[in-house]
Amino acid sequence: MSGFRHGAGRLGDKEIAFSFDGRNLAAREGDTVASALVANGIEVVGRSFKYHRARGVTSCGPEETGALVTIGHGATAEPNARATMQLVTPGMEVSSQNCWPSPKLDLLSLNNVIGSILPGSPFAAGFYYKTFMWPAKFWYSFYEPTIRRAAGMGKVPTDADPDVYDRVNSFTDVAIVGGGSAGLSAALSAAQSGLRVVLMDEHAEFGGQLLNEAVNQGNLELEQWRLDTIAALEAADNVTLLRKTICWGRFDGNTLAAHEIVDGKVRHNYHKIQAKKVIIAAGAIERPLVFANNDKPGVMLASGARKMLNHYGVAAGKTMVVFTNNDSAYQTAFDYHDQGVTVSAVVDSRQKPSAQLLAACMERGIPVQTQSVVTKAKGWHGVRSVAVADLAANGQSVGQTRSIACDVLAHSGGWTPQVQMAAHGGTPPIYDNQIAAFVVDQQAEDTWSVAGAEGEFGLHAGIDQAVAAAQAACQALGASGGDISKPTQDIAGELNIQPLWRVPAKGKQLIDIQHDVTSADIVQSHLEGFVSVEHMKRYTTLGMANDQGRTSNVNALAIMAQCQGQSIAETGTTRFRSPIAPVSMGGIGGRELGEHFKPLRRTPMQEWHERRGAVFVETGLFRRAQYYPLAGETIDDAYVRETAHVRSKVAMCDVSTLGKIEIVGPDAAEFLNRVYINMFSTLPVNKARYGVMLREDGIVFDDGTTSRLAEDRYFMTTTTAKAGPALAHMERCLEIDWPELKVRVSSISERWAAMAVAGPQARATLQKAFPAMDFSNEGFPFMGVVHGEHNGATLRVLRLSFSGEMAYEVYTEADHGEAVWQHIMDAGADFDIIPYGLEALGALRIEKGHVTGAELDGRVTLGDVNMEGMASKKKWFVGKNLMQREGLQDAERPRLVGLKAVNPNEAIQTGSILVTEANAGAGADKQGWVSSMTYSPELNNYIALGFLRDGPNRHGEKIYAAYPLKGINVEVEVVSSHFVDPSNDRVKG
Amino acid sequence: MLRINCPHCGEREHSEFTYGEDANRSLPATDASLETWNEYVYQRDNVAGEHMEYWHHALGCRTWLKVQRNTLTHEISWVGLPHDMPPSQTEAQS
Ligand SMILES: [Zn+2]
Repeated sequence: MSGFRHGAGRLGDKEIAFSFDGRNLAAREGDTVASALVANGIEVVGRSFKYHRARGVTSCGPEETGALVTIGHGATAEPNARATMQLVTPGMEVSSQNCWPSPKLDLLSLNNVIGSILPGSPFAAGFYYKTFMWPAKFWYSFYEPTIRRAAGMGKVPTDADPDVYDRVNSFTDVAIVGGGSAGLSAALSAAQSGLRVVLMDEHAEFGGQLLNEAVNQGNLELEQWRLDTIAALEAADNVTLLRKTICWGRFDGNTLAAHEIVDGKVRHNYHKIQAKKVIIAAGAIERPLVFANNDKPGVMLASGARKMLNHYGVAAGKTMVVFTNNDSAYQTAFDYHDQGVTVSAVVDSRQKPSAQLLAACMERGIPVQTQSVVTKAKGWHGVRSVAVADLAANGQSVGQTRSIACDVLAHSGGWTPQVQMAAHGGTPPIYDNQIAAFVVDQQAEDTWSVAGAEGEFGLHAGIDQAVAAAQAACQALGASGGDISKPTQDIAGELNIQPLWRVPAKGKQLIDIQHDVTSADIVQSHLEGFVSVEHMKRYTTLGMANDQGRTSNVNALAIMAQCQGQSIAETGTTRFRSPIAPVSMGGIGGRELGEHFKPLRRTPMQEWHERRGAVFVETGLFRRAQYYPLAGETIDDAYVRETAHVRSKVAMCDVSTLGKIEIVGPDAAEFLNRVYINMFSTLPVNKARYGVMLREDGIVFDDGTTSRLAEDRYFMTTTTAKAGPALAHMERCLEIDWPELKVRVSSISERWAAMAVAGPQARATLQKAFPAMDFSNEGFPFMGVVHGEHNGATLRVLRLSFSGEMAYEVYTEADHGEAVWQHIMDAGADFDIIPYGLEALGALRIEKGHVTGAELDGRVTLGDVNMEGMASKKKWFVGKNLMQREGLQDAERPRLVGLKAVNPNEAIQTGSILVTEANAGAGADKQGWVSSMTYSPELNNYIALGFLRDGPNRHGEKIYAAYPLKGINVEVEVVSSHFVDPSNDRVKG
Repeated sequence: MLRINCPHCGEREHSEFTYGEDANRSLPATDASLETWNEYVYQRDNVAGEHMEYWHHALGCRTWLKVQRNTLTHEISWVGLPHDMPPSQTEAQS
């Protein structure tokens, strides 16, 4: 193809500069990269995916299969951009893909030759699967690097994308997908109802197929109708027009997902549009014909060649041949001829095209060769001639070929309605013989397919359908859509198509041009036994490229049906899935990147920890202080120091992340009796009690401490991780199972700051901090609750211990959290108080044998953690029935034990398997596992908690904690899980 | 997106809700047999069609809702509180 600028089209004459592979070129404002490249006479735009065949521009729309380019460079480069959908901007850098050293001389095109000689070559159908059959070492050493270089499209930028992408959520009454004549008409009708209307189209310009029409040949009235309609929509306050916006998915409840190319401050927008009614006016896409070298630069879809001329003012070549099996391509021949481009022939596979078309050709002197086919496009880089032959009457063979010189071949294999949006609703498409394509017969109560998308190609008929749908949609919403005036000129919709699925001649006939899938690949997949179209698709990778099968799907199904000796309707189509077009990851991610990927929950003392130089660790949505390193300290140094400090002096930890739930009402005590395994109705006011909850299936759910603030008011804490699930569980119980209980549960987690003050000097520290409160052992015994006040802050202090030392949990309003924390730190200075982090908290609780999520992992029973004695026998509770199950009562179940490394300095790996022999192999008797480990400064020894078969009866036994993946075998002694102060005296002192 | 019409909050999209469970079962008596409890906790009908289920409006009013949803089409035909019944069943009973 040697295209050139020819006439004005709809573009003005303002020139802009851009570059292609470093060459400076001129474009006109409004040009796409594709039209600008063709205008500059560029034939070869890039190389193909597998075979590195030369490729040029094949269309003017989203169905583009040849001209995939990279826009820009560096971090903002966009690979695989469809040149037909990308407007040229001043200074734009465009690069070809997949070729080295240049698109015209590509050394990797050797694949093309190998692929055609050897049917079992790495690139034939199923090549992804077959290459995996080779020895594994071959994959890494040869195939992976070779195929990676040879196959694939473009290069993904490796730097972070600095551009901004955004997300737009909107609601509308009527959404219209596709802004051609039907979409514009539907929008104008619906706009008159006063309802909210959204009209979106993937092109920069509304008009759809109207843009294929010439504006200088007596079609001015049609063009004026288009412009007037757009102007009327622009003027309507209730209409939102979205250009360059592809609707890529329709989901339950008419939620639409759309991708808008903005290229302003924001690069792309991801629209989530909640529509009450949807009108699908997405039009139809022209299909290629299947003949040898139908992917050669210069072979274009007839409608694309026509739009190139009439809209962009670019002739696709100097001499054209048109090849068709239906009426629609004739108009391309007429327009090119009428604008002074030579049309050497129309090759029509039908025996008898209509007399009207033949007369129109005769009038222009265009020869028509009926019952004829193009068997092959010829030329080195681009088309220079086509081989044409007579088609046998039965369509199974061709006669002698003759050659016709041309540099552009415009072809049409018929039209495929864009049914994806309709099919996303679950309605399967059905085959329509009249137009030889699939349609979705959908006129549902909230979705209408109209015009080209419904297989109605006539201009007036499509507009009538669109307006009827708009009026029905408005009426369903209690409003009334208006009438619109149609353009005087009609465009006939009859294709009079006679399917020609494949020219019966030799050569490489591309079906899916982007993925280099040939008609031979489809036949091969049939011969290899692939019966379902879904399997054929996956085996050949057909329809999986940028154009998502728009041009290839129907042709492939037809060839498969021929192989199977059945109708296309019987073969059926693959399921349509979203996204139907390439969508940028940036658009989907929007601004939820980096630290905004998920919300951050901060405790009231977060800034204090930051100032203190804490190292943080992510726990759920929190970032908790893990440890507070001194100069030169490692994490191990720091937590061991902090742990020892708690046991020798006093330290404070931020425990605001605990779930905090208030339980209020006359039946609060009865409610807690049901959700906890132990009794809470007997708990005196201002006392706290440790409680355990089970799931309905008898497995331990969560634990925590609940204190009674008044007869009808309790304050529950849950673990950080189970704060949400525990609340939801209690709400469920109250609303669904026990509506008769008068109880309210509310999360107050965010309202209260919490700090644990622990260590032998904890009492002295708090007594000094809050002298008005009585911290004496008599006034404030273990498990007591005392209330107080400090500088306007409410204090609720619970005497509990997670560390095993004398300890208190101080709760205060979140707003006062940091002030109270600082006040305690100041008061504790005399006692050498320090802050301690999550790592030391973990070490302390392991030393004490307290379980957390590592032990309560959703698989363990009360017995497994040696707590069966806590379960009340006097009352029913959730989980009581199924915890009795035989399997959960099995004496052989692994139970909680302590494990002490025989060599004190040998670390035990969490996740190790407990075995009795050293260096156990895969067949060893696995008797348990290690759930958590730490170094114990109290014991000067590595210790761990784990679950061991019959564990509590095996104290003193020496076994092994094996981690075969890392070759770790640690000899451990089985001990009580209460490593420190087993008699629990310290907490009561 | 499914849209669920919460009786308290109005129509909201399903990302605010958490699916709970089958709403066609009720808590057995506390002293019911192990078999009855096993049935209650583990046995579910895999319904193709209209299904009554509980959803939790976790990111809204935090109410547990009873939702009648067609498992084939995802159409939601009724939403109520846990002890409400859809009008069709209420009529049938009266
Ligand atoms: Zn709600």
